[in-house]
Amino acid sequence: MAQSAVTRERLFALRETIAKLEGKPAPALAAAESEALVDKGLSAKNESVLRLPLGIPALDEAIDGGLPLDGVTEVRSDLLREAGAGSGFVLALAAMLQRQVEESPSASLPILWIADMVSTMEAGAPYAVGLRDFGLKSDQFFYASPRKLEDALWLAEAAVESGVFPATILEVRGNPKPFGLTESRRLSLRAKASKRPLLLLRQAGEEEASSAYFRFLAAPAPAQARPLPDGTMLGGSIGNPVFHLTLEKSRNPAPLSFLLEWNPHDRRFFAVSQSVDPRLPDERAAHSGTPLSASSNRPDRKKEMGALLAFARTS
Amino acid sequence: MRLTALDEAAETLNLRKHMGVAEARAIYPTLDVIEDDPAANQRFLEAIADWCDRYTPLVALDGVDGLFLDITGCAHLFGGETSLLKDILARLFQMGIDARGAISSSPGLSWAISRFGQGGIIEHGEAEQALAPLPVAALRLEEETVSALHKMGLKYVGDLLSAPRAPLARRFGGALLLRLDQALGTDEEPVSPRLPVASLSVERRLIEPIGAEDDILALTDQIAVSLKPSLEARGVGGRIFELVLFRVDGKVFRISAGTAQPLREPKRIAALFAERLQAIHDDFDAGYGFEILRLNVLLHEDFVTSQGDFEHRQQKDASLAAFVDRVSARLGEDCLQTFQLRESHIPERAVIALPAIDQLSAQKTREGHPPPARNERPIRLLRKPEPMDAFAVEVPDGAPASFHWRRMQHRVLKSEGPERLAMEWWLDGSDAEDRDYFRIEDDQGRRFWIYRHGHYERDAAQNWYMHGVIA
Repeated sequence: MAQSAVTRERLFALRETIAKLEGKPAPALAAAESEALVDKGLSAKNESVLRLPLGIPALDEAIDGGLPLDGVTEVRSDLLREAGAGSGFVLALAAMLQRQVEESPSASLPILWIADMVSTMEAGAPYAVGLRDFGLKSDQFFYASPRKLEDALWLAEAAVESGVFPATILEVRGNPKPFGLTESRRLSLRAKASKRPLLLLRQAGEEEASSAYFRFLAAPAPAQARPLPDGTMLGGSIGNPVFHLTLEKSRNPAPLSFLLEWNPHDRRFFAVSQSVDPRLPDERAAHSGTPLSASSNRPDRKKEMGALLAFARTS
Repeated sequence: MRLTALDEAAETLNLRKHMGVAEARAIYPTLDVIEDDPAANQRFLEAIADWCDRYTPLVALDGVDGLFLDITGCAHLFGGETSLLKDILARLFQMGIDARGAISSSPGLSWAISRFGQGGIIEHGEAEQALAPLPVAALRLEEETVSALHKMGLKYVGDLLSAPRAPLARRFGGALLLRLDQALGTDEEPVSPRLPVASLSVERRLIEPIGAEDDILALTDQIAVSLKPSLEARGVGGRIFELVLFRVDGKVFRISAGTAQPLREPKRIAALFAERLQAIHDDFDAGYGFEILRLNVLLHEDFVTSQGDFEHRQQKDASLAAFVDRVSARLGEDCLQTFQLRESHIPERAVIALPAIDQLSAQKTREGHPPPARNERPIRLLRKPEPMDAFAVEVPDGAPASFHWRRMQHRVLKSEGPERLAMEWWLDGSDAEDRDYFRIEDDQGRRFWIYRHGHYERDAAQNWYMHGVIA
């Protein structure tokens, strides 16, 4: 009896090690742990702290309780002209992280934004006054503009390693070759070791294998209208931003698509029902490429067989 | 083309300076003439001056071919003045430089003795005696004065020493007597060093040169430890450090690194240079190794010691400062920036970006507040507003129904505005045109911040600009 208990404990220890290696969160072990000794739940509790819940139960369930605070989360935008959505979602996450650490007394609040040069030229640099309107502390915002991608990667790694930033945002454009799976894995391991999140913002990038826990595709969506004091909405106004997010990489089998409204004042997300805007179709493709214009003429059909014979070509 | 300098062999050949090259070639057809390069000469002299830094931090350039070293308080480190002079001359000779030197109580006397005399050491009371047999040119006089003195038959300094001063001054001006007094040491002449003198400096001389980066850093750490007590005694910490590396063959590397907060900790000082060495990796050639390492504190500031609390807030601040130092050392100070708000309602002037390394120590500076009554601002602002084409603009003060920007047509569905911002007349002049800002959303849900430059005018072209991206 004693022998089997020891074996079982070793088995669980091994499983836990494997889960840790795979980067699986503790809930995956929940089933195993329920069989196991009762006081084993402590480790699961410890790990559940390292999650950032988005505050929407259905969504949090899909992403295992929240975004990992010890790993890489990728947010990508399809096109550079949609950079606003990607940047907005990442900055909203950073603001949430800032709020979360603000509640604990020993707070260090700085946010680091590591910029990509071309994206900055195309979509602009973070604007402190706007960031303040967006719910971030602008005096705690650090902006780095390294010249080369290698420097940016080094900077991201050093920032995560230093452990002072509740959120580090690394902006890259497209899918550069020097930032492959190896580098991504390296950053992810570094984040895991120092228990700090790294938000990877990929502008105008393709889906790519990486060691990020989750990957979101951020697309723009019509903003909420501004509420009036009597409870109605002011038509035609541009209120809180809404992001159309697609959870592309997760433990879910199917990509999940949803709309989130960011409230800069409360610094939290609200779910938006899909049919909020009649112009927006309920189900949008996960890859909203360039919308093709409908053909003006009829589609080309097969020509009817004529009376003439098709002679063999001579040349 | 004329000869500007001659080597020893040429000097024996009856050639003179200022002789024409053609003339010299006519006498000696095999003469080897090298074109003069004053810039290279200057660089070479500066390299020697750098090298002389090992003896004293006060090294000054003298013309194109001389150096002044202020060795006050340094001679005993090298075993006295005699062995100091011998050491300098021997080392320079080994490097292939024919140098002459003299040590005396005034720069003028040393100049005269080393250029016109035998060199060596002139004791304090022997100035007149040493000067007397030298020609008057040894007093650093103008060419005209020298020839005038020659015409008068005053060929040696001794003649001037015995002559009455008043007629000399009347005839040749004050400069002659000033030079004479400077040479005799009765008139103080400062030597202005070419580099700022470090407020604190520690160094280590090595018998066996080192070349590996790890060794250099380990040694930097060690000498930083010996720097700590003197920093503590003054109650300061260093803001800018400089590591001076003297290579065996005479080349000197100076690597400086700044910090965000006054620093004493040897480990962190060494870490700064670890990043700097990484950054300058390609230009850093250890060659046969370094024989002297010196750590200078170029700038120091009051070190505020603060008691740690249970929340470890100090520790957090310190690790942020360490991160900022590391990044600034590696990627330059401009790479990492923070934003500071200014009191201006013009969007691009409301924020300035400053290097984080300067801001961290100067924290709690006054913070400008953006104007209270305003619309929300975009999260990303274009560096320069980009012109775009707007169509079907609602008159007089409305947003366009569609616009063309970067070869893309956007159909505007919603808009908010205008928010009229007048330019700052005290900077832009009174004729600067206002801007009407709009927050707009296109049919895909993309939100932008655009403005019209100038007011609406009938039948006039309107200038529309894209200025930012709203989340």
